Parts: sequence; C-alpha cells; structure tokens
Amino acid sequence: MERKNFLRSLLIGAVSTPAVINACKKSSAADETVGVTTTPTGGSSASNCVVAPTETEGPFPTKAPASYVRSDITDGQTGYKLTAKITIGNSNNNCSALAGAIVDIWHCDAEGNYSEYGGTSMQSTNYQSVHFLRGRQTTDTNGLVTFTSIFPGWYSGRATHIHVHVYNASGKSLKVTQIAFPEGSGTAVALVNGYKKGLSGYTYNKNDNVFSDDTSGIEIATVTGNTTSGFELKIQLSVPA
Amino acid sequence: MRRKITLCYRKVINVNSISTWERLVFTDSFTEFKMQSQYFDQESKYYTFAELLHNVPTAEKLHFLVSGSIINYVKQLNEVIPDVTNNLGLHFLKFNQFRFEIINSDLRNIDKHVVAINFYSEQLNHIDQIGDYLLTSKSNISDNENREVLTDMFAMIPYLTIYSIKQ
Repeated sequence: MERKNFLRSLLIGAVSTPAVINACKKSSAADETVGVTTTPTGGSSASNCVVAPTETEGPFPTKAPASYVRSDITDGQTGYKLTAKITIGNSNNNCSALAGAIVDIWHCDAEGNYSEYGGTSMQSTNYQSVHFLRGRQTTDTNGLVTFTSIFPGWYSGRATHIHVHVYNASGKSLKVTQIAFPEGSGTAVALVNGYKKGLSGYTYNKNDNVFSDDTSGIEIATVTGNTTSGFELKIQLSVPA
Repeated sequence: MRRKITLCYRKVINVNSISTWERLVFTDSFTEFKMQSQYFDQESKYYTFAELLHNVPTAEKLHFLVSGSIINYVKQLNEVIPDVTNNLGLHFLKFNQFRFEIINSDLRNIDKHVVAINFYSEQLNHIDQIGDYLLTSKSNISDNENREVLTDMFAMIPYLTIYSIKQ
C-alpha cells in the first residue's frame, strides 16, 4: 500500500506542479524536446526519495481501439492470400442479416502456430505485430464482415480451421464456433498442400473432433481461388441474437 | 568490460489510477476482459479472473488476449517507459518489449480490476553505483575508454528492477 501511495504521490506531484521556470537540455538522447519544471518531490523516506517527473506534459493519450480492429490481419505473415467473407444471420429472426455484431476471428500461421504468449513467465514480447492473424470487425447492414489474411496452416490433430467468436454490439457472446474447409481434389486444402509440411498425418474433417459431427457440412465454407491469385472464403453463420 | 543490463518496470494500474492514459488502459482492458473471458466460460459460471483461472487453466491465455486492447496505448508512449525518471526528473528509459498481465478482475465490479504492464528497457551499460544511485550509459555508445560518455543517474524506485545482466 505504501508503495502504491508513493507512486500516486509521484503522479499527483507531476500534475499539480506545472510551474515551468526553465528549459534545461538533458544530456542523453531521449526526449530532447522536453522542457523542465523544478519541483523535486517524492518518497517519504530517504531510501526512496527520488526526483518526481519534471517535464513538459505529454504525450497526450487518445482513445484507441483494440489492435484486433482491422480488416487486414496478416501482420507480415507469409502464405497464400485468403479473403474471408463471413455473413452473420440472426437465427431468432429467420436468419436475416445481423447488423452491428462484433466478429472476432483467429487462426494459425502457415506452420500451424498461433500468436500468443504465456502470462506467468517473465518472458517479454515486442509490441509490434504481437497479435498476428487475429482480427475484429463489426457487421454491416448486410451482416457481412471481410478479413484479409493468409490461408491457415495446420497442426497435429486438427483439420484446417478458423475460429470465430460473435458478440452483440455490447460485447455479449452470441456464438463461439469454427469454420471448416472443403476437402478433396482441386480444393484449397489440396492446392495449398499444407505448405512446407505437406499433408502427411493431416486430420481430415471426418476425423476432426470438432467437425466430425457436422454430417450436413454447415460448418464448411465455400472456398474458391488458387495459389497464384489467392483464395476467397464465404460462409453464413447464424447466431441467436 | 562493463556489464550490460536491462531494467523491468512493472506498472500496476487499478481503480485508483488517475492519469488519462491509465484510465484508458483500465477501462478498455476491463471491457476486453469481459468480452474474451466468455470464450473460456461459455456457461457464465465464474465472475472473477482468479475463479476462472482456477477452473479453466487455459484462461491463462487471457493475459495475452486482453493485451490487444491496450497495445495501441503502449504504442502511444513512443517507446518511453513511463514514471521512471533519472535524477534530473527526466524520463530516460526506452523500451520495445512489454508484457501485459491481468492481476485481478471481477465481471460484476470494475473496481476490482487490476492489471500490470511490464516494460523492458533497452540495454544499458552499468557503470557504477554511487550511494543509492545507479550510473548507466546508453549501450549503443561504444565502450571506448578514451571517449567521453554521457550518463544517466537514477534511483531504483518501487516496481523497478534489473531484469537481465550480461557480463
């Protein structure tokens, strides 16, 4: 508690003592443009008595959306281009288009890995492109969202898939599901051929623990295109809204 | 040969945090937690992050997943670690590595929401310790004994630590 209060006292000090009396260049390279206020305040004991921040205020934070909110979720990942067009319908209203729904998608890279890190280790992460192949869009009046990405790779035990989480406009979960891909000669799965891995040991939809019960194939998207010009995926998902 | 060190500053943000930047991180990470935690608890059985983590260990991924809501605020810092100042009162530590954590949260009450952002500094030359102060220089400045080297002097405040050392 004492530490928190101490940190807060630093912040309060910075806010409440804006009297700029001098502009003193600092010797290091960082922040050469800052001016200086001179109000050393700080901790309550000699052992943690430090100079409070004494700089011109800034940078000025502005409200910013989550990094997921973008149409192109590629983030420099290499693979065959995939455009995913997902239409959300309302299963409580004859599957009519659901506008204003929030749609999250995420999938693995060409080698079968997701962007992620553990929370318990001390491992640090570069903050640039840390959430690759994860995206969020809001459906338009036709219930449509469009993402640009790469064709997903695969990993042991699972068929090629894209995760989807649909929320209503206020963030309440409406549906967690996955999109499956058509299989067989000439399909995108066959053309991409598992990238560098090949398809040896690949799990097909009928053996996939998520898709195997989908005997009518409603989870399987329509996928067209080729490895030269890229692929286009289309699917309609109906959720109870 | 001087030691190269990196520092870690763990910035804890809770309901008492007051700056605009801290409030944005606080509210947006809570909203994102409410959204993404539903994936791990599709029957809405749990309210707190601790309960969720205890019953659904894969919810540990929420540290990473919720970080998407604050990454644009991290970018707005322009690679300067907040709060930590040298003895001139200037922010002097640069970062490009970070890690976000959810410490506690409760879907029913935003006041229980507590998060932390760990900022990992760029590498510094550790030159000396003078009293309570560390004396460092930028590590990209060549370690030539005959050259004048610009330095930073600073005290180790709470939540600031030496993260790594390279001899």
